[in-house]
Parts: sequence; C-alpha cells; structure tokens
Amino acid sequence: MQKINRNVVLALLSLTSLVFLLFQLCYYKFYLSQKNGAGFSKVRGSQSGQDGTRWHVVRKFLGLISSHNIPVYLIDPLILGLVDKDIEQIRSSPDGPSPECKYFCAPRDFTTFALLDKTWKHDVGLFRTAEKMGFQWLKIINKDPRLDGMDDLSGMEIPLHYIFKLASHAIHLVVFYERSGNFLWHGPLRLKQHMDRKFVPFRKLHFGRYPGAYEKPELLLVSIDDLKVRIPKNPSSFLEEMSHSRFLECRYREARAFFQLYPDDASLDAVEFRKKAKSLLHLAALTLNNLGVKFWLSSGTCLGWYRQCNVIPHSKDVDLGIFIRDYKADIIPAFQKAGLPLKHKFGKVEDSLELSFQGEDDVKLDIFFFYEENGHIWNGGTQAKSGKKFKYLFPKFTLCWTEFVELKVHVPCETRQYVEANYGPEWKVPVKTWDWKSSPSNVQDNGVWPIDEWDNVIQIY
Amino acid sequence: MDEWKPNPAVKPHKKRSWYLAWKYKLMNQRALRKLCQTGAVLFLLVTVIVNIKLILDTRRAAYEEEEESAQDYDDEMLNVEVPRHPVNNKKVLDVEVYSSRSKVYVAVDGTTVLEDEAREQGRGIHVIVLNQATGHVMAKRVFDTYSPHEDEAMVLFLNMVARGRILIFTIKDEGSFHLKETAKNVLKSLGSQVAPFLSWRDMWTFVGKKGGEVYGEKHAKSPALSTWGDPVLLKTEVHLTSVEDAECHWPDTELNRRRKRFCSKVEGYGSVCSCKDPTPIEFNPDPLKDNKVFDVPVAVIAGNRPNYLYRMLRSLLSAQGVNPQMITVFIDGYYEEPMDVVELFGLSGIQHTPISIKNARVSQHYKASLTATFNLFPDAKFAVVLEEDLDISIDFFSFLSQSIHLLEEDDSLYCISAWNDQGYEHTAEDPSLLYRVETMPGLGWVLRKSLYKDELEPKWPTPEKLWDWDMWMRMPEQRKGRECIIPDISRSYHFGIVGLNMNGYFHEAYFKKHKFNTVPNVQLKNVESLRKDNYETEIHRLLGEAEVLDHSKNPCEDSFVPDTEGRVYVMFIRMEQEADFTTWTQLAKCLHIWDLDVRGNHKGLWRLFRKKNHFLVVGVPASPYSSKKPSSVTPIYMEPPAKEEGAVAVPAVAAAEQT
Repeated sequence: MQKINRNVVLALLSLTSLVFLLFQLCYYKFYLSQKNGAGFSKVRGSQSGQDGTRWHVVRKFLGLISSHNIPVYLIDPLILGLVDKDIEQIRSSPDGPSPECKYFCAPRDFTTFALLDKTWKHDVGLFRTAEKMGFQWLKIINKDPRLDGMDDLSGMEIPLHYIFKLASHAIHLVVFYERSGNFLWHGPLRLKQHMDRKFVPFRKLHFGRYPGAYEKPELLLVSIDDLKVRIPKNPSSFLEEMSHSRFLECRYREARAFFQLYPDDASLDAVEFRKKAKSLLHLAALTLNNLGVKFWLSSGTCLGWYRQCNVIPHSKDVDLGIFIRDYKADIIPAFQKAGLPLKHKFGKVEDSLELSFQGEDDVKLDIFFFYEENGHIWNGGTQAKSGKKFKYLFPKFTLCWTEFVELKVHVPCETRQYVEANYGPEWKVPVKTWDWKSSPSNVQDNGVWPIDEWDNVIQIY
Repeated sequence: MDEWKPNPAVKPHKKRSWYLAWKYKLMNQRALRKLCQTGAVLFLLVTVIVNIKLILDTRRAAYEEEEESAQDYDDEMLNVEVPRHPVNNKKVLDVEVYSSRSKVYVAVDGTTVLEDEAREQGRGIHVIVLNQATGHVMAKRVFDTYSPHEDEAMVLFLNMVARGRILIFTIKDEGSFHLKETAKNVLKSLGSQVAPFLSWRDMWTFVGKKGGEVYGEKHAKSPALSTWGDPVLLKTEVHLTSVEDAECHWPDTELNRRRKRFCSKVEGYGSVCSCKDPTPIEFNPDPLKDNKVFDVPVAVIAGNRPNYLYRMLRSLLSAQGVNPQMITVFIDGYYEEPMDVVELFGLSGIQHTPISIKNARVSQHYKASLTATFNLFPDAKFAVVLEEDLDISIDFFSFLSQSIHLLEEDDSLYCISAWNDQGYEHTAEDPSLLYRVETMPGLGWVLRKSLYKDELEPKWPTPEKLWDWDMWMRMPEQRKGRECIIPDISRSYHFGIVGLNMNGYFHEAYFKKHKFNTVPNVQLKNVESLRKDNYETEIHRLLGEAEVLDHSKNPCEDSFVPDTEGRVYVMFIRMEQEADFTTWTQLAKCLHIWDLDVRGNHKGLWRLFRKKNHFLVVGVPASPYSSKKPSSVTPIYMEPPAKEEGAVAVPAVAAAEQT
C-alpha cells in the first residue's frame, strides 16, 4: 500500500509539473506573438466583448476634469476613426443612450485628450483630486518655444503633456498652446533623466514623437458610449490634419550664432523690406490657403528661415514652392484679385512652370512649381531673352509646418538637404550677389524652348 | 528553448502506456523503480529550471522593450535639476564678521555673503538675516545711520524680521551719528551689550538670534574724534535649529505652501510671513461686468527691487477685473528675490539677461518684454504695460475697459495711459474725465499690437544707443502726431524713490503729491467725445462756455482764479509758435506741476483744475483755439528767470529722469 501511495504521489507530481510546463509554453507562445506585433489584432479579436476598465477610467477622468471646469476634447485617433464612421448618427442624436459600448471599450493602453492651455488656470488642486481618485500622474514640462526665439529670456518651463494612469489604463492629455500665426502647437514628449520610463508604453503614444501644428478646431459636444465628450466637429479632417502635423521649430540658437558672425542689417531699407516681404507673404499665404493649395517656403525665403529665422533683407523677393499636382488654374486670377498683378509666367503646366507676381514697390513674389521624377524633385527656370531652360534638382522631401513672421507655413522637413542642394555647403555664408542661372549648386542646363512655343512659355507683363 | 519544446507535445499521447509499463516494472524491479523515481525528480527539477529561465527571459525582454521604447523620448539635454540652494545638513555654522573704516565682510561657513570695500559707499550699519534652520541669507540691508531717519528704517525692518532668525550686524565707517535712542534700545533688546554706548566712529560687530541667544559681539572704541576704532573681527558659531522650528504652522493649502516657500527664503515683507493671521496673498477682487480687458495681457516690467514689486503686485491683484493668468512679470537680470515674490503670488515670471547698460539696458528689457508678451498671447490686440514701482488704482481695469475701444477704432490714438503728468492733488478733480494729450505719459499704459509689431519693434533703438525707450517713443518720428488718452485723476501712482533716474528729492518734488484715484467703479463721462473730431467739438463747446479770467492779475497767485466751484475758466498765454513753451514752463513752475518738459498739451491747450474749477490755458497765437480770445485780452507773458549756470542743461537732464 505504501508503495502505491508513493507511486501515486510521484505520478501526481509529474502530472502537475507537466500541466505547469504546458501552461508556461502557452504563455510563452502568446508572449512571443504579442511581441512580434501580431498581438494587437489578436487581443482585439479575442476580446470582442466589452472591456470595462477603459470605459471606467475615461469616465472617472472626465468626472475629474469637469469637476475642475477644464475643457478637454478627445483627439484619440483610433476612437475618432470609429466615431467618424458613425458621425451622422452621433450628430443627429447627441443625447441618445448607446445600446452597446462601441468606442471606449476596445481595450487599449491609453486614450488621448487635448487641452487648450489658456482655458485652464494650472490649478494644482486638480492633481490632488486626481490622486485622491486613485490616479497616478506624470507631467512632462519643457522650455517654452514662444520665448525660444528671443535672446536671453528664460521663463518658467511649461507643461506639454500629462499622463494620468489608473489601473491598467492611461489618459494622455496633450497640452496645446496658441502660437503667433493663429494656430495651435503641441510639444514633443521628452523624458527627463529621473522620470519613470515605464510609466506607460511611451513609444505607442500617438502624440509626442514630434511637435505638431494644428488649426484651432471647432468642437462638438457628443454623447458616445454614454459619456459626454467634446470632439473635433469634423473628425476625418482632424485625422487628416494629424497625419501631416509635424512641426519644426526654427533653429533660434543657430540663428543667434549667425547674427553674432554677421550682424543683422538694421538699416531703414532693411526694416522696410522686411515689413513688405512679411505682408506679401501674409497675403500670398491667405490667397493660397483660400484656394486650398499647399505651398512651402523655397529658395531665399527658406534659407532665411533656416539660417536666421527671418527674412534676408538683401534677398529682394519672396519665394514659394508648390507641387505641380497641386496646381490650379485659379491661382493667377486669385492673386490678381488680391492686388498682385502677374509679372511673368515661364514654362507650362507640363514643364518648368514658374509664376511671378508684382508686390508692393519692388518686392516680387516668385512661385516655383515642383515636378517629381525618378526619385528626385525638380523645378525649372527660363531665361527670357534666350529661351534657355534650367533645371534645379532637389532630393526628395516631405513637408513640415513651422512658424515664420507670425505665420504658420510649410517648409521641407529635410530643410538642410534642401538648402544645401540649392546653395551648396557654404550656405551659412551670406552672399549678396546671386545669379539664379549659375550660382545655385543644383542648376543644370535643360535645353532651349522651341521658338514656336515662346509666346506661350515666356510671358512677360 | 527549442530543445525542450517537442517533449511536452509528445507526452500526452504516450502517457497511458507509459504509466502502465511503469507501474508494472515498479512492482517487480526495485532498481528500475529507483531509477524512475530519480527520473521523476530530475524531470521536476528541469521543469523548475525551465520555469525560472522563462520568467527571467520574459522579464528581460519586457525590460528591453521598455528601454527601447523610452529611448526616443529621452530629453537630449542632461537636465540635472539643481536646487536653487544647496541643502546644508550641517548643524553648526561658522560665522565671521568684520567691521572697519573702509571694509566690511560677513562669511558664513567660509562663503562670503557680504563684502563691501567700495569707497564712499555702504556707510552705516549692515544687517544680514539668516534662516535659523538652513543658514541661507534671507535679507541684506544697509542703513546709513550717519544720516538722519535711517535708524527709523532700520527699526522698522528689524521689527518685521520673524522671531528666531539670525541677525548679523556690522558697521562700516560710521554708524552712530544719527542712531537714536529708540534704535539703540531695539538693538539692546536683541541682546547687544554695546549698542547703548555706541559712539562716533566705533567699530562694532554683533551676531544674535531675534528673541533669543547672543552668539557674539565685538566692539572697538574710537580713541579720538579724528580717528576710527581698530578693525574688529568676530568669529563665532551658530547652532541651527530644525526646519520645523523655523516655520510657521499654517493650514496646509496651496496658498500656504507658496507662502511657506517664500517665507523660508526671504525676510523683510512683514505680515505676509507672520505665523498668526498672515496677510492674504490672494485677493479675489470683484469681477467687472462686461470686462473688455479681461483677455488683455499685462506685462510688468521689473528690475531688482523686490519690495517694490511686492507692493505693486499687491495693488495690481487687488484691482477689480484683474485676470492673474494674463499677468507676466519680466525681470531684468537673474535675481532670485523678485522671482520669489512673483511665485508667492502664483504669477508667471520671465528673467531676462541684461543687455547693455543704463538706459539702453532698460530699453532692451522693454523690447524683449513686449515681444515676449505678444508671443505668449498671440491673440492679443493690446498689452497693458506696467512698472514695478507703481500702485495700481482699484478701478484701473474698469477705466481701461471703458476706453479701450477707442484705441481699437481711432487711428489718431497712440496709447491709453493711466497717468496724468499734470494731475496733482491741487490740479486734478474729476475721476470721470478724460483728456487727449500729445505727450505719452507712460506709467501704466496700453499699447496696440499693430503699433508695436509694425512700427516700433522693427526699429527699436539698438543696444549701443543709450536712449530712453520712452523718450524715443515720444519722438515725432515714432509718434507721428498721434495722441494718448489720459484720465484727469491718475489710475496709477509712482511710489519708487530709488531707481535709475530717480532719487528722494526728485520724487518728493514731482511725484509725491500726485493725485491717485481710490474710488471703485467710476463711470467715465462721455467717452465718445474723446474721438478725434468729437474732441474738437467738445473743446470748442468748453471754450465757448468758459469765462475769461482777469489777465491783469498774476496767474501764479491763488486769487487769479475766483473762489468758486465747478466753473470753467480760460486764460491765454503767449506762445509764438508750436514749440514755444517759455510762458507755459514758467506757469507750470509756479503752479507746482510738471515743468521739466512739456506734458499734457493738446494743440497748444492745457486742461487742469484750480480750486475745483476747470482751468484752460491756451497758447496764443500758436494754438488753433486762439480765435476764442477776446480781442481785448493780451496774452500773458512770463519771463524765465535770469539764467543761472547750467540752467539750460537742467530741463534736458531732468526730462530724461521720468521713466
């Protein structure tokens, strides 16, 4: 009997260990698959049912926020994506009870909200209440970019992001600031040394990898999943905006160093030119934005932004770039309507198009159209008297937002390559004499326009 | 891991047969049974090891992922947070105090906290206050008790210092000549044995705790009137107390936390730090109905005069309709104490590295502050500009709220200012009355963003130009004939008596008697009449109604204006052309109003009050209002006094003095 007992015990032990082993194996397999990224969809698939945690955390957070009168709005791209599909229905019945939890129950690590800085008072009480409610919170602060452009000012650091964590769910609160140029800006999320790197999976956050620029959104108060939240009135355009929101700060420190080397021109002429260039740029931006044409700072204007965060006083014109795919026939009449007569038009839509408008006094607005081809981007030039064509080559680039002379405008994100292509490695040294046909380091001869086309491709007014 | 993976997968299939065979064998063969037992134990062991490995693995992998994920988000810069004061854990402080004719110094734990060997400066009693728990310097003052009244200031200061603080005294040069009995008694009550007998040119050092023990005292008597006492050097030790003992026990609120932080760092702010019933630091004045300036940013321009800033912010935060969120204090220099004051009130402060010197430094500070203000509040169309040495009237924002639309709509306006240069106790009367003037008074004013961004900022004087920003703004190239709106009774009061362009005498003569509105909610009269054209109509109406005074009398005499109330009188003075202010300057001098340069004029007309009557002065024939002069009246001419040496220079210098 004793022997059997012993055997039974042994067998039982082995069995347990076997089961244990199997369990471990399963767990490990699951873990591996999650790590490889497949986990995301798997989790979603396996838990099609409702996950209460997220909903409860969001509800608690909204309660916290409203008890302190802080107007936040939802900018979580995944939820807004879902909301957008049902937007008509949600708009039409803003108060209706939801039959099922559709939006806030998909299990996620975090939900993202936005907060306009000027709408709240940095009330410390909020955090104390949050702690009482069981939230852990993290504040990410950094330098105020609105003071960065100024010599020698040091303000207090400003909060850029807050993260509130309760149980397994986190609320990412992005703080938006108003900037000159009538747009909203949010900062990058950068952790300081002493901060807890594992507070949330930072890499997965939708906001914070780069700073971003947004238009001021119109908001809509809706009730989804029985929670009252404010969302951007038009979620799809917000999501579209978000995908192109990356913002580049001007390189103020380098600009300061530049002015140390080459003191700024403070003559009356320079002041006057800058003023005119600024108002011309404002007018051009207004006109093109109204048409919905995307443009960026090009050539000398781009160099001015990149090198000295200002208009180069001896540049004598304002240069913009537009992709030829964004060309619209209304561009010329729109500028004429805005009081900028066409000065010349070179090339045609299919090839080397370039427009030039006459601004106030001698300041000229040049618009170059850019063509994409074989892994590079180029724009064309035409010499009026000889009909010679030139081609300026640039490496491929994407567009980023920036703030320039109180305006939100695009610049190539890869600005350095762009500027270097155009002005060579010595772009840091100011050059007063510039020949557009030979000085640029990326210029190529591109043949001659056929004589019979001249009337069309060389128009001077 | 791959090696063991197949095994468990296979096992379940064979389990049954295995078990049977095993059982059978066990029954028969002891050795085999033993083997099996060992095998089972081994198997268990392996399981345990595998498990442990697995756990370790998962953990490491998870950790690595986190590390990796966070890397992107690391701040590029090493942001090592340095506390503003190093924390000192030492329980005993070594204090060294030196007193002599030409030099004083105080060293705490080897760190010099005071050193003054400048010639002809820093005479009198130097006082240093240390925190009894941390040893930090909380206040530094010097009282020139060789001169009158300075001892009173010292008594006032010593009374404000909280009990328990460590006080260090040392005399430089001479500190006893005007040290009166009261002051000596206060020093005696602090534990000084020598203070009551301090006399001419004695050297003296003293270290003690307020309301407690004495740590040391040294004294050297001056042997004769013409010589000084020998230098004395006092070396002593001070025992620090615990932090709890050094602090008050206010209820734990956000406000009191700010108060605590402030009070543990600085001294000399009186009841804000008293343990019992401290003075409030939040004021909650009544909001304004229909406040048009609620969203207008307020820039407070400050230097290193923290006591002034404290007084100024108190009055500003008490003004009805104030919006603390819109206030930014710009401090010229990296001074700690002004920043402490800003933080005490929960406001935001920005420090500015000083550029250039003297007036140019102030001017650069103004430029940076204004630019930053419009950067921080890009929506704002205006900014209110204040200075740290102003009291702000309770109806300051109400005054602006009622008038700001004019600045928006009337292009002929340059600014709205809260200050009337000619608004003295005896010359201002009506809180609801506004004027248009050709001079820019400053001292609490509203700036239009477009004016700043389009005109002023691009050509602001560069650092190498030693110009006053306000004089520059008054120049015709900038002002371009535009005017400012001012109230009859000022909504700000200039209390600063130390400053770049300021001294006690100057303040007494030109600022002390300035009228300051203390009435809340004043409803301004006929604001629309301040528009360019309306104002002319208004002036003509006034002149039509005005009684012409007797021009044979002396306008300086009180009897020049009849003993009436509420009447309108006019007088005519000689003014040959637009820039001829000879008679006006003499008149201003004898009326005891601002006479250092011309202020408050509108097309050769000045408006003020005398004996509660509205009193108009018209310059003939330069003023367009000269036509109102009856032909029988000869304009009064007043000759400037015979020129003394340097008299010409005075107006020029003095003109630069008002900031």
